[in-house]
Amino acid sequence: MSTKHSIAAEKFNQDSGRVTRHDQTFWSVRSKRDGLAYQLEEWEQLRESANLIKKHTITHLADYLEQFETNAKKNGVHVHWAKDADEYNDIVMEIMRQHNVKKVVKSKSMLTEECHLNDNLIKHGIDVVETDLGERILQLMEIPPSHIVMPAIHVTREEVAACFREKGIIEKHGAHAAEGLLKEGEDWRTSSDPTYLTRAARYHLRDNFMEADCGMTGGNFGIAETGDIVVCTNEGNADMSTSIPKLHIVSIGLEKIIPNYKAMGVFQRLLARHGTGQATTVYTSHFRKARPGAEMHIILVDNGRSSILGNIEHWQTLKCMRCGACMNTCPVYRRSGGYSYTYFIPGPIGINLGMLKDKEANYHNCSACSLCMSCDNVCPVKVDLSTQIYKWRQELDSMGHADPLKKMTSAGMQTLFEHPSLYTTALKFAPLANHVPAFMTNIKANTWCYGHTMPEFAKESFHTLWKKGKVK
Amino acid sequence: MSSREEILNRLRGNVRETYDFPDLGFKKLEFADPVAQYIETTTTTAGARVFEIKPTDDINAKIREAYPDARIIASNIPGVLADLNPDTVERAQDLEVVDVGVIKGEVACAENGCVWVPQTMKEKAICFASETLVLIVSRKNIVSNMHEAYERIKFNDYGFGTFISGPSKTADIEQSLVYGAQAARGLTVFLTD
Amino acid sequence: MKIGLFVPCYVDALYPEVGVAAYKLLCSLGLDVEYPEKQTCCGQPMGNAGFQNKAEKLVENYDELFRGYDYVVAPSASCAAYVRFFHDGIVGHECEAAKRTMDLVEFLHDVIKPTSLKAKFPHKVSLHNSCHGVRELGLSSPSERNVPRFNKIKDLLQLVEGITVMEPERPDECCGFGGMFSVEEPAVSTRMGKDKLRRHMATGAEYITGPDSSCLMHLQGIAKKNGEPIKFIHVAQILAAGL
Repeated sequence: MSTKHSIAAEKFNQDSGRVTRHDQTFWSVRSKRDGLAYQLEEWEQLRESANLIKKHTITHLADYLEQFETNAKKNGVHVHWAKDADEYNDIVMEIMRQHNVKKVVKSKSMLTEECHLNDNLIKHGIDVVETDLGERILQLMEIPPSHIVMPAIHVTREEVAACFREKGIIEKHGAHAAEGLLKEGEDWRTSSDPTYLTRAARYHLRDNFMEADCGMTGGNFGIAETGDIVVCTNEGNADMSTSIPKLHIVSIGLEKIIPNYKAMGVFQRLLARHGTGQATTVYTSHFRKARPGAEMHIILVDNGRSSILGNIEHWQTLKCMRCGACMNTCPVYRRSGGYSYTYFIPGPIGINLGMLKDKEANYHNCSACSLCMSCDNVCPVKVDLSTQIYKWRQELDSMGHADPLKKMTSAGMQTLFEHPSLYTTALKFAPLANHVPAFMTNIKANTWCYGHTMPEFAKESFHTLWKKGKVK
Repeated sequence: MSSREEILNRLRGNVRETYDFPDLGFKKLEFADPVAQYIETTTTTAGARVFEIKPTDDINAKIREAYPDARIIASNIPGVLADLNPDTVERAQDLEVVDVGVIKGEVACAENGCVWVPQTMKEKAICFASETLVLIVSRKNIVSNMHEAYERIKFNDYGFGTFISGPSKTADIEQSLVYGAQAARGLTVFLTD
Repeated sequence: MKIGLFVPCYVDALYPEVGVAAYKLLCSLGLDVEYPEKQTCCGQPMGNAGFQNKAEKLVENYDELFRGYDYVVAPSASCAAYVRFFHDGIVGHECEAAKRTMDLVEFLHDVIKPTSLKAKFPHKVSLHNSCHGVRELGLSSPSERNVPRFNKIKDLLQLVEGITVMEPERPDECCGFGGMFSVEEPAVSTRMGKDKLRRHMATGAEYITGPDSSCLMHLQGIAKKNGEPIKFIHVAQILAAGL
């Protein structure tokens, strides 16, 4: 019984060049992160501090949320609470109706992805425009993100160019964007130069910023002591989204609240270094009040988070600040791509969050881990990712989703390993067959042989050699 | 029961063990010469330029030097010759046409090039929608790391501030680094005494 | 000092020479080594597959069998790590033997601390830093972390006369074995193995060596399937070469 992940991963691996590119792309981000880590003497102290601050905050979250709300209200900001995705979407729609919103510009938010906000807006006739370049490309191509920080990195420049042509962006902005950019003889109608395409997208998005009635952002952090919402971007799209329209709606998960600026200093130093291998994002914006004549709303979204806190084995996933470092280092993610996972967040943290969200839909991802523990060592807030995956695997059997072959094999191993005499007998006969015997792994020959030859059994096991006095 | 109460009750009910806020007294990155390091960071990894401005310099001449082709300059800083003023424009959209926005930063951070820019104008669009930015910072206000920066920053009544470390950038298409994604395409820091 | 030698199941069946080398090496250092015959497996294959509950009795047996020794030494980093970090959790109480179980390399490096060895191995080897050795036992500094660089395996190998020790690019990236992972995710596992193999071979080494026969078995299976000429040898065999 193959998991959906393993089937999709095998398909992904049919194109070896693509695997190489994908692996190298994310390994280079991991390497940049390492470079910054080695430069900073206090690196490990920062990680440990971040871990402890998150543990502290999450175990005092109700108090901090109340403090955050009080301060935000003092700043004239409207604060809403949503227990689940439905309530969240209703709140958004209510605010939009009050302001008669027709067009929304939106910066990247995994929470809105989680709550299927865009589908809901479109259903209600609202034009929603993603403004992070990667997200906009995906939106135009009608495909989901394959990574939480670099969502469209798997799309080639040619595919982007084709998409922009099809959507009329090149026709409208191509000539302008090409000015002084393209080499002689290069035709803007067909060019797939990334700088040129980014420029064309800039003009296309500028039009949208100017026309929008509402800007929506996520929030990397909410600061209890001041009521600030902090949003980090490189493109400045969250700032563009909130500097023009007169309505700003922030969507933020409960767990993103931190106590104060002391904590913020720690996280600001860690987030970009881990996420993209930069010392900082270009913009770290603190939204405390609405602009003159504008309105600001913050929606605090639970959607399962308060229940996770009660989960003894998995509550520490709430520490995650969505930097993506665990994906970048994961050797399985790098060689299977974001789409091979059944949950919209891939990689080690995605395996865990997917299980917490919907075990039935997402147990398929539990196979996507060799338990190498690299993720545990890159995580800026020290989520025990691999231990948690190990624990999920222990639950699969009671869910009825254990691989029958693995179950049979494990049961076979149990019998043999509990009975040394049986084990010794099995060993004695193993070399006669000279193939992997049932007791060891009961590997389906064709699965192991996908990439390996069979290991050869020694003529005499160590046990036998010892008994015969040959170990001296 | 409202969602708010329901959520808060569940959070309180689900806590098993509590943890203290940690001591952050560990030794942090310090530069012997934060100004030199700030210039180094800003002009290399952050992709911006630094002009060192003397008290005798004519600021408007320096702006021209930085962006000779600029047609529309916007600023609300006294003494800066500007075509548009972010305090008096009717709508934020009016700042879309700006070639150079001239703004002030209050604290700069050497380790990553971040400059704290509090909103000091009615329309903060000047900080983002302008094609390029001139950011004026005093060399007296440069600190080594972000912990110090967070101790120093102040909010005014506008209730917005942002750390800006360079021009807007993206690497979303095949990881190619491109300056000028959605916000300012270029940044020149004017380092004053 | 009384040492219990633990020769995990797959070493027992596939690579008995590794067990022999470990035994000889420990004896040559003047240690009193015993091999309790009723030993079987550490339980990791079941645990990683999601059936650690099926390893409960095995863990109790292990504890009973080995609790009387000063140290239990296994020529297998992953198995030693599993015993030390998972046995308590499987049975829900502290296990005496688990606390004193060490991988051969860490035992030699941290406890015995030899300053010279009799071994000679005039070959170029590429060192395979296996995941559980690096990230559970701390045999070398994990590349992810900003800690002082060290490598206990390399330190020991460099006591061997004539040896040249290389490390591949990405020195501690996973080889893709992962026990049941290799069976359940054959495509990714194989790809990881191929990438690892290529990086080891790029060092120009004649041998790939490491403290885990499981990783070596995986890489060897891939090398053979692809007709690669590289040879494999466990660290214990090098340290005991010539004994």
